Amino acid sequence: MKAVYKTLTQAVAIVVLATALSLGVNALRPDGLPLVEAKTSATRLDQGDGEISVKDAAMLFASGRAVFLDARSQFEFEQGHVQGAISLPPREFASQFQDIKPRLMGKEVVITYCDGERCLLSHALAEHLRGAGLKNVRVLKNGWTLWTTEKLPVEKGS
Amino acid sequence: MEAAKHSVLRLFREKWAVADVLLRLALAGILLAASAGKIMDPQGFSAVVRDYQILPSALIAPTAVILPWLELVLGILLLAGRMRLGTLLLVNALLLTFLGALIANYFRGIDVACGCFSTTREASSPMLWYIVRDGAFVALALGAAWAYRARLRRGLVD
Repeated sequence: MKAVYKTLTQAVAIVVLATALSLGVNALRPDGLPLVEAKTSATRLDQGDGEISVKDAAMLFASGRAVFLDARSQFEFEQGHVQGAISLPPREFASQFQDIKPRLMGKEVVITYCDGERCLLSHALAEHLRGAGLKNVRVLKNGWTLWTTEKLPVEKGS
Repeated sequence: MEAAKHSVLRLFREKWAVADVLLRLALAGILLAASAGKIMDPQGFSAVVRDYQILPSALIAPTAVILPWLELVLGILLLAGRMRLGTLLLVNALLLTFLGALIANYFRGIDVACGCFSTTREASSPMLWYIVRDGAFVALALGAAWAYRARLRRGLVD
């Protein structure tokens, strides 16, 4: 018990010391980080490499011209996704695409998305779709975050 | 017989002492190397923390500020051999947290820049390498804790 107590007190002391040091230095240095950050704007310009801005995506969504494909895991899809989106993780592409294909017909654009600036799933899915002969495929980069930040329609469940 | 027993015991003790010192210094080197770049470049490191997509945005800046200093303080304490119990607990907790974060993002399909020893956002190595490397660090840290405990139990250190 004594050793546990000693371990915990030391750990707390170290964390307090490091926190005090870091906050002190951060306050003094000219390139210190603001600890309370302003929210960054959600909109971004089309990168010209098969991506689409959230504004354009929202517009296509509102007019029903786009179908959204969710490249994240089934679990994340069920926690919440773009309203009307279809779940299609890239690794399931081969087994599920034929079932999904009819639902893409009659739409102008297929928009793939996942979550995060660096998430590659939506790009991988877009590549699969282009490989299957689809012409108008766009990636909504950082899609889920942007979509929810803009409070655009979402739904839960499978 | 008594002399033989004595020398065997001594060998055993020294084995733990050598392991203890070597592991401690190795960990100190890792932590100090890891903290330096992050302390120099808080902006870059906060971008890396954001890319991990694990913390809520309110916690990103404080984490980016405090974490490198915690690593620095732990590195110094390991070098100095002070507050060993608390230090080893925190080092193990930190490395396991990093491992968890890397593995979680590996399965989420998010290819993060490790941000382990540098703050550049370009993911230069595959995620699996980061995971294996951090696994090795965890093994070192657990070994250090084990060696120290062995010495404590034999009453070789206080």
